[in-house]
Amino acid sequence: MSYDERALAFRCGGAALVGIASVPAGECSRGVLVVVGGPQYRVGSHRQFALLARHLAENGIAAMRFDYRGMGDSDGEERDFEAIQDDIRAALDAFIEAVPGLTDVVLWGLCDGASAAAMYAPGDARVRGLVLLNPWVRTDDGVARTTLKHHYRDRLRSPEFWRKLARGQFDYAGSLTSMLKLVRTAFAGRPADQGAAASLPERMHHGLHVFTGHTLLVIGGADLTGREFCDVAGSSPAWKRLVATPRVSWRRIEDADHTFSRRAWRDQVAEWTREWVASL
Amino acid sequence: MTPDRAGVDTEPFFLGSGADRRFCLFHRPAGTCRGAVLYVPPFAEELNRTRRMAALGARRLAAHGYGVLQIDLLGTGDSAGDFADARWDLWKQDLDTGAAWLRARLDAPLTLWGLRLGALLALDHARTTSVPLAPMLLWQPVAAGSTYLTQFLRLRTANAMLGEDAAAQSGTKALRAALQAGETLEIAGYDLTPALALAIDALPAPDAMMPPVPVHWFEVLGAPGQAPGPAAARVKAAWEAHGTPLHVHAVTGAPFWATTGISTCPTLLDATVGAIEERAHVV
Repeated sequence: MSYDERALAFRCGGAALVGIASVPAGECSRGVLVVVGGPQYRVGSHRQFALLARHLAENGIAAMRFDYRGMGDSDGEERDFEAIQDDIRAALDAFIEAVPGLTDVVLWGLCDGASAAAMYAPGDARVRGLVLLNPWVRTDDGVARTTLKHHYRDRLRSPEFWRKLARGQFDYAGSLTSMLKLVRTAFAGRPADQGAAASLPERMHHGLHVFTGHTLLVIGGADLTGREFCDVAGSSPAWKRLVATPRVSWRRIEDADHTFSRRAWRDQVAEWTREWVASL
Repeated sequence: MTPDRAGVDTEPFFLGSGADRRFCLFHRPAGTCRGAVLYVPPFAEELNRTRRMAALGARRLAAHGYGVLQIDLLGTGDSAGDFADARWDLWKQDLDTGAAWLRARLDAPLTLWGLRLGALLALDHARTTSVPLAPMLLWQPVAAGSTYLTQFLRLRTANAMLGEDAAAQSGTKALRAALQAGETLEIAGYDLTPALALAIDALPAPDAMMPPVPVHWFEVLGAPGQAPGPAAARVKAAWEAHGTPLHVHAVTGAPFWATTGISTCPTLLDATVGAIEERAHVV
């Protein structure tokens, strides 16, 4: 099937944003909006998002990619994935305006773009599905636990540590302070439902729980971020219930890294996306 | 909106259609037009990492009255084709296309502005183009095509070691031999063909790519007081022996083409505007 590509300029909060829509010839009611994550702009590492959009458009599914404010070609101050909800809405508006007849949209995101998409989805009835690749759920307490587990345990076993201690060269005060800080962060306990702001995994859970559409999770087995997500998804009865519902599907490529940086992995992800989006 | 961006208007568009489709961004000059600038992007993942800096630079130049065209070369960015279709000479043709588009809109001499390997592509283009050129802007030029290719090949060796993929663990010498034998190598997700790789490998050193106009050469250094790399001095000596001035500008900042996260280098933006403004006053 042939397709056309259109360069889109649209606005969000006074800034000029840039996006590209890949639009199949003929009627098209379903679209995929790519929400870019991490340090990537709308083309993606090794052009993953550009190639994905073309693959989808060749198969009758419209696709749009865009740069949120402060990223890539778009204007505005730099911001992180927690502050791009308005950008996603503006892009969705521009996508639907550019492709008349579009009624269903799937948000597709990698890394923290996946997290932003999951938190956005329940608030917009136009979103029918989510494709989330190696979603980002890292928290300070997660990092603190990992650091305590590996760093301090290793130090206590290190002969150099005990030699320093014996020579009186060990900075007790500094080390104790930083270790206590980590202990406090790691074991601070989960914030209550009301009151303290919810952690990122909690907000992700909330977004996916409230969202009534379907979700496809794609994990690269060799990616730390993907593994962390799997840990979180197995960490509590609530998460286990959520990811076991028929609304949620899983795919995994055992050797794949964070950005699916081989053609075989990238093409597999594109093909899974096409199949899954077409099956909705 | 900062004063630097006041009046700048950016238009994204596709130039050509089908297999000739090239993604472009045109930054209209604010106020009276003082010149035209064609941006020549860097290679593979460096293009992605530097996209923010390129956008900031283009808007700064546009705010100072320069019309700037960014073009994604064949098989890169949002342009048509796969990376495996890319050829050095086709990239030079893309620059011709971009330059012609600019000339049709702005009656002003053309500044080529190249980053990293794009600096070598700009220098190579400047040797053959018939378009009248203004002094060039080169950001962190790579020292030589062959060195750059070696560094790119090392990405594959490093990935293979991390991935414990014994079959793929070969040194850059073996990878060069594979290219010579006609094999396309997948490196960091990019299909590197023998045609493109060997063209980069065979590029003359910048010393021998003497441009017809003066050049502003910018190097980003990690700390104040560091000296620019030896390449700049070597090139300066070679060019100036033949009467082409080279102005070396050293600034302090992050190596934004190499960092994992997006980083910017404001001092480079200031120095670039400074250099181009100085030229405007002299003329």
